[in-house]
Amino acid sequence: MTSPVVDTVNLVKIYQDGEVPVPAVRGVDLRVEAGEFVAVMGPSGSGKSTLIHMIGGLEARTSGEIWLDGQRADMLKESAWALLRRRKIGFVFQFFNLVANMTVADNVELPALLAGVSAKEARRRREHLLGELGLTARADAAPAQLAGGEQQRVALARALANKPSLLLADEPTGNLDSRNTRDVLRLLGEVHREGQAIVLVTHDARVASLADRVVSLLDGQIVDDGGAGLARRRPRGGAGDVIELRG
Amino acid sequence: MTGANPPSPADIAGDRPNHAFADRTGLVAGSVAVSTIRASVRWIRADLKARRVQALLTVLAVAGIVTALITSATLLEDGTNPWRGLFAESRGAHVWIHTRDAPEVAALSRLPGVVQVAGPYRSAPVTLTLDGKKSPVALREMSATPPKVAVPLIREGRPLRPGDTDGVVVERSFARALDLRVGGPFPVTGLNGATHPLIVVGLADSTDQGFYPEWTPGLAWTLAPVLARVEPALGRSESVTGLRLADGEATLPAVHGAVTLLEGQIQRMSTWREVRASMELDNRLLGLLLALFGIAGLVAAALAIANAVGGRVLTQTRDIATLKSLGYTRGQVFGVLMAEHGALGLLGIVIGLLCGQVAASFVLDGTPILPLSSGPLLAIAGGTAAVVCVAVALPAWRGGRTPPIPAAPAAPLRGHLSHLARLALLLRLPPALVLGTRDAFTRRVPAFLSIFGVAIPMMMITIGLGCWATLDDFLRHPEQVGQAAALTVRPDKLPADEALRIARADPGVLAAYPGAEVLALEPEQTRSVLTRAAGTSAEPYPFSVVEGRMYAARGEAVAGQGLLDLLGVRIGDRVRLTVGGTPLIVHLVGRVVEPDQDGEVLSFGIDTLAAKDAVPPQFYSLVLRPGADPSEVRARLLTASGEALEVHRVVNPAERLAIIRVVIVALIGVLALLGLANLLTAAALGLRDHAFDLAVLKAMGLTPRQVAATLVTGTGLLIVLGVLAGTAAGASLVGGLIDLQGHSSGVGAGIGRTPSALTLAVAMLVAVGSALLVTLIPAGRAARAQVPVTAR
Repeated sequence: MTSPVVDTVNLVKIYQDGEVPVPAVRGVDLRVEAGEFVAVMGPSGSGKSTLIHMIGGLEARTSGEIWLDGQRADMLKESAWALLRRRKIGFVFQFFNLVANMTVADNVELPALLAGVSAKEARRRREHLLGELGLTARADAAPAQLAGGEQQRVALARALANKPSLLLADEPTGNLDSRNTRDVLRLLGEVHREGQAIVLVTHDARVASLADRVVSLLDGQIVDDGGAGLARRRPRGGAGDVIELRG
Repeated sequence: MTGANPPSPADIAGDRPNHAFADRTGLVAGSVAVSTIRASVRWIRADLKARRVQALLTVLAVAGIVTALITSATLLEDGTNPWRGLFAESRGAHVWIHTRDAPEVAALSRLPGVVQVAGPYRSAPVTLTLDGKKSPVALREMSATPPKVAVPLIREGRPLRPGDTDGVVVERSFARALDLRVGGPFPVTGLNGATHPLIVVGLADSTDQGFYPEWTPGLAWTLAPVLARVEPALGRSESVTGLRLADGEATLPAVHGAVTLLEGQIQRMSTWREVRASMELDNRLLGLLLALFGIAGLVAAALAIANAVGGRVLTQTRDIATLKSLGYTRGQVFGVLMAEHGALGLLGIVIGLLCGQVAASFVLDGTPILPLSSGPLLAIAGGTAAVVCVAVALPAWRGGRTPPIPAAPAAPLRGHLSHLARLALLLRLPPALVLGTRDAFTRRVPAFLSIFGVAIPMMMITIGLGCWATLDDFLRHPEQVGQAAALTVRPDKLPADEALRIARADPGVLAAYPGAEVLALEPEQTRSVLTRAAGTSAEPYPFSVVEGRMYAARGEAVAGQGLLDLLGVRIGDRVRLTVGGTPLIVHLVGRVVEPDQDGEVLSFGIDTLAAKDAVPPQFYSLVLRPGADPSEVRARLLTASGEALEVHRVVNPAERLAIIRVVIVALIGVLALLGLANLLTAAALGLRDHAFDLAVLKAMGLTPRQVAATLVTGTGLLIVLGVLAGTAAGASLVGGLIDLQGHSSGVGAGIGRTPSALTLAVAMLVAVGSALLVTLIPAGRAARAQVPVTAR
């Protein structure tokens, strides 16, 4: 059996803000299999963004283990994490985070170039991805000239440029209207059908409904894991029920 | 429209995703390095495109500063002094001794350190009369075969040939000053009054003596028989002997040896140092000025660059975080920032190196230049590169530490009211001003960097204006720099009394002081100094006495700083000199500002000189009435005397230093660029920090104009503080700095002037006004722009 794409063991993050320690994630065990689409849901401040930031190595964990594709990653240094991200992890953020000075084409080619792909191959991938996402005509535009939905599609293309084994999406539709939300979600669904493992953070139940499995976080703990049978600390009648009903 | 074209459900990500983490986590370092470069080049190109003006400013500022440093080093290194090249080419003699009779060559060549002896050559004083103008010439004998040492370097025409019965070779600077051409006449009159029509056959460069007219009399060579014809009496000529030494630095043993050997025989001596100094053309002063500006400019540039990079890093925090989320490591972000901003600096250095060569030749207006030797060149290039690197490295390091979470907001700003803001609030200033005052100091370090970044260029600009004011003062009040007399009159054909009568009769002449200039051997008799008798003890010439008092009795004298330094004496000391064999002991009672001869001049009343040197006076120095035009007075005097008088205008040293004004203007340009670079950074930072506030301010009901005023106040306050601090520092430094320079150049302290209050006020107003105008553009645009709603 192949190892899971992501496996976290008792993952904890405590922010030390001044004197008072603020726990954001309190012992999360999350396992994501290859090709799985997991939505992490929860209200604001439940620690869901912190969780995927830790999985992507953007934030250091306080304790616990992170295993990516069977290899332990939580002990990696910042630069090793960076190298790992180049090839294995694609990120999509709520505010798109396109490099403002670079054209759409350069934004999409950047990760491929960074991963050691030739300029020719990077261009081939970019043309392919932008073609698939219906953005070929905007290749030379500056991000600021694009509408929000278009920007997020470019961000998605950028995240997929290196065919990552794991796509992490942090509220990818949080800043979009419903029509653009639908388009971006359809794209995510298509990517998923191609076998892409996705972890998506959202507080929108409609968005979460697209996933194979919905994990609910509350105050830094998993209160419901829709795909993994009974959650260990699942209190009956929690937020997860509502999600399951909608899903 | 955005969702109108949904992609087909085809294979979006291309191939199947890759799950083989374990076997590929150890990435090949080499391919990563290359790939990072490719990605980084894209990023750098895009960033430079987005901020062309700022990048251009950085390049120009660095280039300007390197230009100033290279030019100053070239000037300071004497690369522009032709002496070095000429001396080597002509195998010049280090010491020249003028004696009454020919000394014994064998004995001289045995002196310590002497390698070869030039001459002795017979030399006769003659007068060259061309177009009614008379110039004293030392006509020196020369053989037709070129000597081994101190060869006149023929530049035009030909050398002397055996059988040249009337040919002379003329020293080139003398020829240039008198417009002598090869083939032209050279009519000379000997002391016996007989005139000989000689012909110029060649023009030659030489380091036997300095350039005319700094060094007089002019020099010409002719064959021995010709010289014998012009001046048959041996007693009326002198003998000139040159000593070439093994080590040019060690002139003293040879000089002392010669003095002992030729005791009483020596009339004059000169060493290569004086010759070199006379060829120097005040480049040292210019060099020092440029060096001062260059070094201070370098500090200002370092600040500007650090500010610019720091500001850029702050404004790009989100992009840098995005790069890190894409897989840039901390070191790579540092590397990219260093490469981008360092490359701009290096480009500036390269341009500066090229411009430096051009600028030096421009400043010297065609004087041949020896290129700067590689040592200082490397030091300047390397030093500037190091400064640029350090200036870039600190903010780049901070950039590298940017957390990789792009959505994370920047560290919250400390929002407390500064003292100034409280004051503004207390004074019930308009809200925009209060808010702007508060904004100015929300980030303390960048705020102070911005202030310094403006203050240093402003300080240098003030110093530049001070130099300008000093030059103006030289021109407007020549009497304050020891040049009270605008004209000197030499009686020439007329009796001295008659000359004095004509001069005094002119309505433009306020006073006429009798004067004489004689060379005196200094106490150790190793070199000559100029002693100048001017006025009488009862009615002294109006020197500008800055220390001690004016001479008031026979035997009292005043001196320039250069002479005090040369002889190692102080005011109150007695100095023993030898004038034409007669001992002269004077009591130094004061120091005057002395712009001539590097300040190595001793001045006293004409009654202090022995009668043989003083009667009749060689010349009269004429002090004109205020407002009288020297050239008009000169014309009247010439007419009144029937062209019998020789009337010269006194050359103001400021006229020779006119080039400094060009330099000052150029440097002010470079410094203004630096200030502008700092300003743009400060404005960009202000905008970035307050982008959110703008929404709040608008929500609170501030009009776009008030919002713009808030932003301009924030930046403007820093500018005003910087300009004030810089001007104050510059104004308090400039007098001292110029006096220091005056002291070291021999002119002496007491010449430095602070720019007038009006000039300073105008400079400050222009600086602040133009700065505010520049900030107004982005501020106005920001105030009208859509308020950003996304996180920064």
